[in-house]
Amino acid sequence: MEHLIEELKKEIIEVLNLEEMTPADIDENAPLFGEGLGLDSIDALELIVLLEKNYGIKLQNANEGKEIFKSVRVMAEYIKEHRTK
Amino acid sequence: MSIFIQGISQISIQQPLSEEWFDAPVIPHTIMSPSIDPDFGKYFSPMESRRMGVLIKRAIATSMDVMQKTGLNMPDAIIAGTGIGCIEPTEKFLTEMIENDEECLPPAAFSQSTHNTIAAQMALKLNCHGYNCTYAHRGTSFDSALFDAFLQFKLKKIESALVGSYDTMTENYFLMLSKLDYWKSDFCGIQQLRHSKSSGSISGSCSLSMMLSSLPSPQAWCELKDVEMFYRPTILQIKHNLNSILLRNELMLSDVDAVVMGWSGDRDNDDVYYELKEHCFKDVPLLWYKQLFGESFSASAFGTYVASVCLREGRIPKHLFFFPEDFEKVKNKPRNILVYNHFHDRDHSLILLSK
Amino acid sequence: MTDIVVTGLGITSALGVGADDNCTRLLDGRSGIGPMHILRSKHTHLPVGEVDCTNAELREMLFVEPDAAITRASLIGAAAMREALFSAGLLYKDRSLRVALVSGTTVGGMECSEQFYHDFLFTKEKNDYIELHDCGSSTDMIALAFPGQFDMVTTISTACSSAANALILGYNMLQMNRADVVVVGGSDCLSKFHLNGFKSLMILDDQPCRPFDKNRNGLNLGEGAAYLVLEREETARNRGISPLCVFSGYGNRCDAFHQTATSPDGEGAYLAMTEALRMAGLQPSDIDYVNAHGTGTINNDESEGKALMRVFGDKMPMVSSTKSYTGHTTGASGAVEAVISILALLHDFVPANLNFSEKMDSLTFKPVSKVKIGVELRHVLSNSFGFGGNDSSCIFSKIS
Repeated sequence: MEHLIEELKKEIIEVLNLEEMTPADIDENAPLFGEGLGLDSIDALELIVLLEKNYGIKLQNANEGKEIFKSVRVMAEYIKEHRTK
Repeated sequence: MSIFIQGISQISIQQPLSEEWFDAPVIPHTIMSPSIDPDFGKYFSPMESRRMGVLIKRAIATSMDVMQKTGLNMPDAIIAGTGIGCIEPTEKFLTEMIENDEECLPPAAFSQSTHNTIAAQMALKLNCHGYNCTYAHRGTSFDSALFDAFLQFKLKKIESALVGSYDTMTENYFLMLSKLDYWKSDFCGIQQLRHSKSSGSISGSCSLSMMLSSLPSPQAWCELKDVEMFYRPTILQIKHNLNSILLRNELMLSDVDAVVMGWSGDRDNDDVYYELKEHCFKDVPLLWYKQLFGESFSASAFGTYVASVCLREGRIPKHLFFFPEDFEKVKNKPRNILVYNHFHDRDHSLILLSK
Repeated sequence: MTDIVVTGLGITSALGVGADDNCTRLLDGRSGIGPMHILRSKHTHLPVGEVDCTNAELREMLFVEPDAAITRASLIGAAAMREALFSAGLLYKDRSLRVALVSGTTVGGMECSEQFYHDFLFTKEKNDYIELHDCGSSTDMIALAFPGQFDMVTTISTACSSAANALILGYNMLQMNRADVVVVGGSDCLSKFHLNGFKSLMILDDQPCRPFDKNRNGLNLGEGAAYLVLEREETARNRGISPLCVFSGYGNRCDAFHQTATSPDGEGAYLAMTEALRMAGLQPSDIDYVNAHGTGTINNDESEGKALMRVFGDKMPMVSSTKSYTGHTTGASGAVEAVISILALLHDFVPANLNFSEKMDSLTFKPVSKVKIGVELRHVLSNSFGFGGNDSSCIFSKIS
């Protein structure tokens, strides 16, 4: 799990182009949107693509992301359960 | 209502956000000379710029710079020109779409790919709810944007406007255009661009932001007197258009101190300017600028820029004269400068600037 | 200020080529949205509003050589242009008139670039479509189909409000006497590029779109072109042409909220509509029908609906989104829907907002769900909003 969280942080930094950020800067328990990391709706869509590309998880609509992207930890847990690759 | 150019900021082959080129120009040595970027750090945070391509970064930097220098921070209108828009994200999305067979595509790249992203990002940055528009008409994109602003000033719809033009070159687009003979295949220095018998020019990028306002101020660079655009004109129609623009502004041709033209070193492009010299501007000194800023769909913005700086400085440096002997002809401070631009002899534009 | 009137119309959409076909289908309530036939995308499950003509058929219709390089967007545009010029009595140009063309487009020649991109980069020979990639060339090709017709040409690209902004520049040029006639509008054809783009934003419905419905789930893309001939009332009178309606006001405002999302209270839309009303010298109660932007996305309809409530309060005029007929014709939609609004004004009907069944919780009004015939319309307002918050509204008024 911790390994997946680490991996995920790196992927998020890369796909969202969070220049000058390191995995250590992301608190895996903090919200990704709004108060926490301050991401927006387009970032959410990028994360949906990340889920599909890297883990074979296909979401049907953007709303499903809301629960999954609560924090990096929640996201990792979801991936662990649903990944197809 | 009078319209004043209060300031202009640019990022190009020349030193950024400055007029250093006026006396000490950077001489392009390669066919695809890069732009010199300033430190973007002071214009936006890394979080803000996480999705910005280089074009948007430059556009925001030149716009913020010109607003800071003129002290005008909330324009009534934001109007942009761009020939090909945000080509980097466009190519990214297009390439991935082809390579990944329409699967798993990057939404951020698509959302940044529309041409109006530049003007919209500026509005977002300034929280500006005013008029917002983007022109994408090849080599007269800037001229169209300026024309729009000009009409709105005259109709008293606005009292200030941020007008700019933005284009950058990617390796792919450079390659595509080279198949259309856009670039000199045997480039060996800018002296080759003068009286050239071959096709092609040198490539440059453009980010230029201009602040216009109807309030006179001591810092204003010059006055924008007129903008006119025409399509596929005959030389007779050009003469007619020139006469009506002069008449409208109560000027004679002899009052025009110089004409800035888009000589680029491309034979077909320059032929139009030779013809103009012969039929319309026989005794008027002619200036050029693409030898310093390169060719791009937004390059014509530099024509207005160069003319504005000459009016501000009250002199024309020798290196801007297309025919070097004309330098001796300009004895007084320039008061009226025309800017003539055409794209492929289809779209033509004429801009009149005065001290 | 002199009156700017509309003296000619042309439209090519999923409802057909020509105003008559479009009008008939609007009156009959028959949508043009259906399965993909012409666009070669793998996402065939997505319904689209295609112009029901192949490129070969369009070439034949317009007398364009089979091997001449021209994009579908330009072909569709030229078809609408021909009708617009013809209906305004301008197909054979009067040399004394200064005629300008202002056209909007979003993706320009992308439909060809995506087919030939590999060739563009890797084959030695020049591919003629390289030159047609950008937005400006798309307009240029339309202008070239009518030699000698235009004295000034330019292109606007503000995403889905492009054509509405073309109307605005045209209006200003006429007020400033920089032209006698301005043909304004826009043209866009479907491309895999923007179909996949909208898909990546997860705002495409795989069912026919349901604007302003509680269960709406996105938009359907469409293609089309439309042009309006604008001139000063005096010019029309001198030419002996009777105007169809008055272009009485416009507003262009920026939402300045987010690159793709619209603000929850529809600030940009609200400002654009109120500015158009102010300029036209009208009260909200003077508007009889609003042709909404109404894409069918969760976000747009919510925020446009809120903006409409802010402008019109409890006196909501009849509202419908005709994107349920044509699909979202992106850069052309401002003109396609302006033409539809004017057809409604001329024939006194209100087109239906198809596929509507349940009112949205957050809105106090329902769109018109069945075509209304025989309602007298005096002023109609057409909304066009684009990515980046480029919001524009135009008002057309019956000749009094």
